[in-house]
Amino acid sequence: MPEVRLDGVRFAYPGGVEVYPEPGLTLALGDGVTALVGENGAGKTTLTKLLIGLLRPNQGSVTVAGVDVASATVAEMARIVGYSFQNPDDQLFERTVKAEVSFGPRVLGKPAEDVERGVAWALKACGLQGKEEVHPHDLGLSERKWVAIASALAGEPKVVVLDEPTLGQDYPSRERLRMLAAQLADLGRAVLVVTHDMDFVGESCPTTVVLSHGVVRYAGATEKAFADRSMVDDAGIQPPHVTALARSLGMSESVSEAAFLAAIRW
Amino acid sequence: MEVSSTALVLEGVCYAYEEAPREAVSDISLTIGEGEWVGVTGPTNAGKSTLCLLAMGLAPHFFGGRLKGKVTVLAKDSRSVSVIERSSEVGLLFQNPFTQVSGARERVDEEVAFGPECHGVARPEVDARVEEAMGLAGITHLAARHPMELSGGQLQRLALAGLLAMRPRLLLLDEPTSQLDPAGTAAIFQVLDGLHRRGTTIVMVEHRLETLCEVCPRVVAMVAGRVIADGAPEEVFNIEKVQERVGMPVFTRLARARALPRPWPVRLRDAASAFAKSIA
Repeated sequence: MPEVRLDGVRFAYPGGVEVYPEPGLTLALGDGVTALVGENGAGKTTLTKLLIGLLRPNQGSVTVAGVDVASATVAEMARIVGYSFQNPDDQLFERTVKAEVSFGPRVLGKPAEDVERGVAWALKACGLQGKEEVHPHDLGLSERKWVAIASALAGEPKVVVLDEPTLGQDYPSRERLRMLAAQLADLGRAVLVVTHDMDFVGESCPTTVVLSHGVVRYAGATEKAFADRSMVDDAGIQPPHVTALARSLGMSESVSEAAFLAAIRW
Repeated sequence: MEVSSTALVLEGVCYAYEEAPREAVSDISLTIGEGEWVGVTGPTNAGKSTLCLLAMGLAPHFFGGRLKGKVTVLAKDSRSVSVIERSSEVGLLFQNPFTQVSGARERVDEEVAFGPECHGVARPEVDARVEEAMGLAGITHLAARHPMELSGGQLQRLALAGLLAMRPRLLLLDEPTSQLDPAGTAAIFQVLDGLHRRGTTIVMVEHRLETLCEVCPRVVAMVAGRVIADGAPEEVFNIEKVQERVGMPVFTRLARARALPRPWPVRLRDAASAFAKSIA
């Protein structure tokens, strides 16, 4: 059963144009790691906000982990969906990293031992051990981004939404993120990653959804996502660097470094 | 125009933020000539953003802290030049565009005009600069929008337009296209290329090493507040210490994994020919 389902969703910002044109956005996502890609203004961040109920569709329905978002409050959705904003400064306000990361599960009234376990797991997974008592604003952008991600994970939500998680991240951080996504998938969570970072998509996201002007242009295996070149150009995305290299060598279209190296080895 | 052959000179520079237990940059000596386009990269806490703040004069003028050594920007010692004075010839694009906009203006075009207006530029000149800067940054169609209603990508273009309206000689860019899609990124790099050709000096922090190698003729690699390598991208990313501590472009990593002959390529076209040779 899909964890996330959108059926005929229409939405317009007040005074703005419609994000998802007629007949509306229809999409089903299972568990595992899914990349949501597309040019600026394609409707990616809007989609993530519909999942947690921060925005409400004008038409159509959104169901997450079996719950109809229309009949749930944002607080109820926050138990199901962990959301890390594109800009961590929109999200962080507590005085210490630990207070920040535990804020969600605490206000949701989770039992103390669940809060403790979830927070400890999230801090470790995000490389924030030893930084528990630091003020989030004394950290650099990359680390504040990790605090925002840890906050999204601490409540052990069924669905995790990460908006541009690789922004400002160096290579070790991107590797950590890749391992974290895989770990969440193993735990049976659904992870939706909004990103422009196609190398990360190729390495870390088995499924890809391509959005263009509010329309789903592709939803399926990432290794096939970049094969339809006219769709890719039209949607304003670029293939991963490794795919570009494979193409220039006339090889089959690898999306990950491991696949490329295996293909070239014969 | 005043002739000065160097845009930015750091001599034995150490800097620690107020109350910080350790230095953010340590013993940096670096000379960047006028008209150069230099990429700066390194892992988290390498001191990249601090380098930009030092060049702008915000460190120490705004942030306080302890500065040792000498920072010379466009032939003037940064200690003797205020940030407001500096901002007429040096522009800094913050890593997070949300922190760049003034918050005082309700329209995009007014926000772009903010810098020149604060510097007392005459109205007709302000209007001409705003039109030019919005055109370059690709935000003319957003002129009447409220800055706070813009997407991350649009805000990043607005922040850049605000700098361009000041017509700076030295541009310090902290990950200028981090929020942009490929088309937006290509458009901004085209603008930067045009400015570079007209003689603007560009110092650009960039994590995406493939992009860095594609656009910057010179790369400075930093780790833990120190410069560990400085040179052409193909030199810098063939140094083992850089590969281990900073990382390397995808192409270099693949060539290394495949044990191709050195030097390993850092750009797509070089990688394509190196791999083609190895297959043949």
